[in-house]
Amino acid sequence: MFTRILVANRGEIAVRILRTCRVMGIETVAVYSDADARSLHVTLADQAVRIGGAAPADSYLLQAAIIDAARATGAQAVHPGYGFLSENDAFAAACAGAGLTFIGPSPDAMAKLGSKTAARRLAEAAGVPVVPGAVPDDQSEAALIAAATRVGFPVLLKPSEGGGGIGMKAVHAATELPAAIAQARREAEAAFGDGTLYVERLVTKPRHVEFQVLGDVHGTVVHLFERECSIQRRHQKVLEETPSTAVTPALRARMGAAAVALAKAAGYSNAGTVEFLVEGAGDGASFYFLEMNARLQVEHPITEAATGVDLVRAQIEVAAGQPVPWTQEQLSQRGHAIEVRVCAEDPRQGFLPQAGVLALYHEPSMPGVRVDSGVCEGGEVSVHYDSLLAKLVAWGDTREAARLRARDALAQYPILGLRTNVPLLMRLLVHPRFVAGDLDTHFLDTEAATLVPADNTPSDAARAVAAAVRARPSTTTGASDSWPDPWASLGGRRV
Amino acid sequence: MSEPTDTVTPLGAGRFLVSRDGRQRLAYGTQAAGATWVFLDGEVIVIGAAPSAARAAAVDEHASLAAPMPATVIAIAVQPGQKVAAGDVLIRLEAMKMELPVRSPRDATVVAVKCREGELVQPGVPLLELDEA
Repeated sequence: MFTRILVANRGEIAVRILRTCRVMGIETVAVYSDADARSLHVTLADQAVRIGGAAPADSYLLQAAIIDAARATGAQAVHPGYGFLSENDAFAAACAGAGLTFIGPSPDAMAKLGSKTAARRLAEAAGVPVVPGAVPDDQSEAALIAAATRVGFPVLLKPSEGGGGIGMKAVHAATELPAAIAQARREAEAAFGDGTLYVERLVTKPRHVEFQVLGDVHGTVVHLFERECSIQRRHQKVLEETPSTAVTPALRARMGAAAVALAKAAGYSNAGTVEFLVEGAGDGASFYFLEMNARLQVEHPITEAATGVDLVRAQIEVAAGQPVPWTQEQLSQRGHAIEVRVCAEDPRQGFLPQAGVLALYHEPSMPGVRVDSGVCEGGEVSVHYDSLLAKLVAWGDTREAARLRARDALAQYPILGLRTNVPLLMRLLVHPRFVAGDLDTHFLDTEAATLVPADNTPSDAARAVAAAVRARPSTTTGASDSWPDPWASLGGRRV
Repeated sequence: MSEPTDTVTPLGAGRFLVSRDGRQRLAYGTQAAGATWVFLDGEVIVIGAAPSAARAAAVDEHASLAAPMPATVIAIAVQPGQKVAAGDVLIRLEAMKMELPVRSPRDATVVAVKCREGELVQPGVPLLELDEA
């Protein structure tokens, strides 16, 4: 087992990894940028190494600086967290070249899964269903119409190069095709310099359901069930839960087997997530492979809450060459877990990210609630990194119990000094369609009108509190460009 | 009979006890970013800040050709002399891993581009100039 691990990340995920290392008796090394010199993750590590400037390209993405920090501190392994270098196969290879263990899959498995088209071919070869589709060699209108008819309407026309939704057209009948083909081709040529089109079955009311897998270097792979992540905005997940309200035991068994088969086909070790689209519900629902994420996911705590495992501990153990710590039969789901992502963004201004100082910040604590965060009161939310402040995970013996705990915990979670999406999350948790489990990936767009909060008219009580706040200026921590001095905020008290 | 009133007792560290008709509640409050922030009954109330609708309108009018927050210019989609339509994306910014499109507020012609790709820009500084409406 390793005696010292470097955590090549920041924010809540660095904090979460450091906590598991500490309880495993493994010494830790944090790395930080100039913007993070006083961040929570730095204070939790045994040692911390400055690796560069605030912009990610000057610090958390600097492979050489991170590897140098690991060697200088005598770390034997590097945990990349998520984002930054976590899915960079060149970095994983560079770690190996420097004699460091990269806590994640092999560079080879990462490279195989990194390309969407290669991953799709791998899935097809492993017998994992993919969304039916074709890139006709003959790109004539007649050939594209024939391909669409084979795939079955409704279809999605996509540029074969590129992504991000540019040039995508939903087509519901053959008669609409000629106009749609001309327009999609024009947009594809303008955006990507290549008008080649791909025809894919349009999945209506799709759900995003993913499976957690864990493999070891001896070829064993298990799955740790699903996470439903349909509540998303522009492909950013907002709320995740497990189990999924769409997944029956029979469907779960089929999807879990498919996830394990794909991971085995890729020669996958360590933690990973296989993403599927699910169409329909019940035993007969269809599922299609989307992609595999070769890393620990943001939303992994709901799997931990429902299965009782520590996924980071398991990652470290299998990276050290140990076998997967559980058999498939030993794993089970207990109760229900819901995660909401608390972000510094203003839903009323098109989810504009908010930077500034967390003037007042107090995390809730109650039975069944876990908060993973990388911030603390007085800390600064920097413009250089993403807006995720914390993940609030509520567990309950039923979905309803978890939902009510999540809502009550948010109601006891004051975050003042910058706007957050908490008011939206609270509305989401009581939305009749969410309560009923009636979800699809368009949920947030469809229901935006009822979810985006209006400006509150302050109640008399709120006005009275505001007056009391203004009468006590010693509680102020307003300056956005300076670190609040804790001694100054003690006012006239003697210490 | 007089209306019941709220009695607020500071508890320190931004905590306040709100009492009314025998019911006691815990509130949180602080001053930050030029406003007074209160957390009560699970709601955040910001007093003294411009309402968000007004702020959004302000962004649309005079600052729409500026970044709404410190951001990096990731793409400039137009050139001087180019005619643009209302709603066209002129510049794409990125801040906190989110893409923020800067759109044309009206039909116009681009007079000058005042930023470079890759540049970190500050809020309020115009990124390009359009001809007079």
